[in-house]
Amino acid sequence: MFKVIKKADIILFFVLVILSSIITAVAFGGAEKGSTVEVTVDGKLYGTYSLDKDQTIEIKQDKATNKITIKDGQVQMSDSTCKNQICVEAGAICETNQSIVCLPNKVMIEIVGGEGGFDAVAN
Amino acid sequence: MQSQTKTKFIATSAMFVCLALVFSYVEVLVPFSVGIPGVKLGLANLVIIIALYEMDFKYAFVINAIRIVIAGLLFSGLFGMMYSIAGGLLSILVMWALKKTGLFSMIGVSMAGGLAHNLGQLLVAAFLVSNLKMFIYFPVLMFSGIGSGILIGIVSYIIDKKLPKYLFR
Repeated sequence: MFKVIKKADIILFFVLVILSSIITAVAFGGAEKGSTVEVTVDGKLYGTYSLDKDQTIEIKQDKATNKITIKDGQVQMSDSTCKNQICVEAGAICETNQSIVCLPNKVMIEIVGGEGGFDAVAN
Repeated sequence: MQSQTKTKFIATSAMFVCLALVFSYVEVLVPFSVGIPGVKLGLANLVIIIALYEMDFKYAFVINAIRIVIAGLLFSGLFGMMYSIAGGLLSILVMWALKKTGLFSMIGVSMAGGLAHNLGQLLVAAFLVSNLKMFIYFPVLMFSGIGSGILIGIVSYIIDKKLPKYLFR
């Protein structure tokens, strides 16, 4: 029975598997990297920034101050006056749908994709 | 082609269309899927492969086309039919091309056909819904296409050997 399988079949099998893997890798690689940073303060949109441009954003509220640094296509909370410092320790993020939240100061950093992103059509 | 053979081919084609439809229906009744839309065994492809080998590309193509249209109208609706048309067309063209090279066995041809079918559907999906969520299905559909294609290829090889040859000549 297994004599029917020819050498070309086996080669074709590996070619197809590798091809599928490459397409998968490309599809996922392209989808993940975000391009825009959205900063929300107290539930309201504070501003949108490009990930490509290096800059520091300072957010001053009554008693709290947060510093957001965008560098090398990554964004991080470089400084915060909050007590727990979870947001600072979260480190740098760069992929779509990742976020850093500073609950005490009600500051949220979110990364959104370049074009389209997720919409309701999927369902 | 002699007219007698032609008549026989037409009768066999009609029978194959029915058979393919039954297979489609069986798949609707008993989903072999693992909870992911689009992952199917593709039983109907059994018929198409045997038609491709025993009759001709022409007949296999027509059988496939009629099967898709009727199954689309009966089971999946017009929208689902669009996916099937793309998948079915791509799949049968790929299988025909691979068969023509003479390098591959039925199993290899079926494997490529299964992958092509899912690829065609993905292309339509990418066209219709420009959505990133769809890409989650990408690896699943690719590899399941290869897997089910191999399975169907083995089964169709066994069946092809046992089918009475007078059906085709």
